[in-house]
Amino acid sequence: MIDKFLLAYRSIREKRTRSILTVLGIAVGIAAIVSLMSVGYGMEEAITGELMGMADMISVMPGKITGHTYVELGSFTDRDVKDVQRISGIKDITAMTYDAAEVKYRNKRAPVFIIGGDTKELGSFYVEPVGIKEGRWLRENDFKGCVIGHRVANDFFDDIIHVNDKLIINGDKFIVVGVFEKASTLYASDVDPFIFLTLHASKEALQTDEVKYIMVRVYDIDEAEEIAEEIKEVINDNHGLDDFAIAMTMGSMIEQIGTVFNIIRGVLVGIAAIALVVASIGIMNTMLMSVMERTHEIGVMKAIGAKSSDVLSLFLIESSMVSLVGGVVGCVLGAVAAKVISLSAGTALGIEFGAVVKPEVLLGGMAVAMVVGVLSGFYPARKASRMSPVEAVRYE
Amino acid sequence: MIRTENLTKVYQMGDAEVYALHDVNLDIQDGEFIAIIGPSGSGKSTLLNLIGCLDKPTSGAVFIDGINTGKLNENGLAEIRRRKIGFIFQQFNLVHTLNALENVALPMFFAGVKRETRLKRAEELLAKVGLGDRIYHKPSEMSGGQQQRVAIARALSNDPEVVIGDEPTGNVDTETGNTIMGLLEGLNKEGRTIIVVTHDAEIAARAGRTKRMRDGKVLD
Ligand SMILES: Nc1ncnc2c1ncn2[C@@H]1O[C@H](COP(=O)(O)OP(=O)(O)OP(=O)(O)O)[C@@H](O)[C@H]1O
Ligand SMILES: [Mg+2]
Repeated sequence: MIDKFLLAYRSIREKRTRSILTVLGIAVGIAAIVSLMSVGYGMEEAITGELMGMADMISVMPGKITGHTYVELGSFTDRDVKDVQRISGIKDITAMTYDAAEVKYRNKRAPVFIIGGDTKELGSFYVEPVGIKEGRWLRENDFKGCVIGHRVANDFFDDIIHVNDKLIINGDKFIVVGVFEKASTLYASDVDPFIFLTLHASKEALQTDEVKYIMVRVYDIDEAEEIAEEIKEVINDNHGLDDFAIAMTMGSMIEQIGTVFNIIRGVLVGIAAIALVVASIGIMNTMLMSVMERTHEIGVMKAIGAKSSDVLSLFLIESSMVSLVGGVVGCVLGAVAAKVISLSAGTALGIEFGAVVKPEVLLGGMAVAMVVGVLSGFYPARKASRMSPVEAVRYE
Repeated sequence: MIRTENLTKVYQMGDAEVYALHDVNLDIQDGEFIAIIGPSGSGKSTLLNLIGCLDKPTSGAVFIDGINTGKLNENGLAEIRRRKIGFIFQQFNLVHTLNALENVALPMFFAGVKRETRLKRAEELLAKVGLGDRIYHKPSEMSGGQQQRVAIARALSNDPEVVIGDEPTGNVDTETGNTIMGLLEGLNKEGRTIIVVTHDAEIAARAGRTKRMRDGKVLD
């Protein structure tokens, strides 16, 4: 038995070019499967991961959504905020003012939305998930300091804004104390185009006391829907209106995204299936060719006394060795390719995600390499070993 | 002893039937050295392949030591090839990935001989055919004559009673051909039955008996 392995190894080593080509043929197929699946899982995880991180949030806004547009109906009062705070099951609450302001940087003016709120609360909602790229987050006594979103810093004005640069907001001078990182997709529309101020500073700059947005975090995600209902009732009561406030749980948004996600997953499964078929055909082809061109050798072995089963087991060992190496190389190539694809796709699409190389996928890739490789080596080997020695020897 | 009984091989070529071998009855005694000559296409190779159990007849039978080889299954035929017969091809047919030593040891590998034993015997056999200094050479690193001598050593590997050569000197020069004939004569002196096909009248003359073939038949 050991001798057979040695013999198989010899034949692989001596026919180096042929073996390398066969290994590559298998590896490319397996790499295709592994990389596609890993990129797919990476996307899935990036999206669900982020959604799960937000699943305990409820956004409360004074207005209603008709179709796809939000219509503001007024603003919240301090009483609204206090009443909501009293609802049980709420972990965090932050009230924000929110309005457009005229902002001037060097010689350029632009309208930018300002968000103001309790610095600690606001920080817990945005700083943790997005991160500060330059400088620091706001402090309670930063009356003349501001933190700006990524797009404000890079896109809105002629020059890129850095920490310690000065902005004029509605005529008041502010110093940039921090710049946000570029936010991931889910937070981008909440952070990137905004300037953040302390509650006090924003009230001054915007000349308003109005609360335009309340964000709530709950302890138990399962209670989120109920709490959202309660929030709506409390605020509607305060204002004596039926439809004054909307309170949206992230959970309900996740459900909507879930449907989209099933479609994405379906597409991925389809791509993987195609990759599997293409890989299998490639492996079969290389294996068939490499064994078929050795029909002569099989004939010679039989002519000098080898039984069909001897020849078959030799070729089985050889194709398993080649398939094994091909599978391993394919898995490595696939994992590397997945990382590269996810990096470049991430940059191109502006989403940040890493490929997730699951052990199941690697095992599956190995299994495909072994099963398809060995079977497609077995078939021509059996065919050749069943020929009469004369026939096989004559085969060129 | 080898005996063929109405041995016939027919190839179907489209609508036509080609009788490569037609009712051949031939007796070959143990220890005989027989040469078979005849024009190209007369069925010489076909006959040797059938005697060597490398192919199956359309009808008729080959008896080797009284065994009707037509009654044997695949493994039985493989055993005959392995134990009783050593076959030498015109094209040498060595395994290119293996060196001389491994090529000679290969039939013993299939016979289940222990590794040390078969390498030792392979070395002896190569020395016997005058290649004691070439045992690690690959076929591609040897001349035609050297390759054919490796093939002869390989044919002897399981110590067969019968050595069959289908134009073993066909692809080598006259001098090497003489060496190879000398080796075969030596094997014959050891008591082995030698059956060779040749085009060369001079070589045929060195055999104990010569048979002439034509159109698939052995002439008297
Ligand atoms: N596989 C085959 N298919 C069809 N016809 C064949 C096949 N093998 C041999 N033949 C035919 O059988 C006949 C005998 O062939 P064989 O090879 O035995 O001749 P030979 O005497 O060995 O000739 P040579 O001296 O050229 O080697 C020829 O007519 C040949 O065409
Ligand atoms: Mg011939």
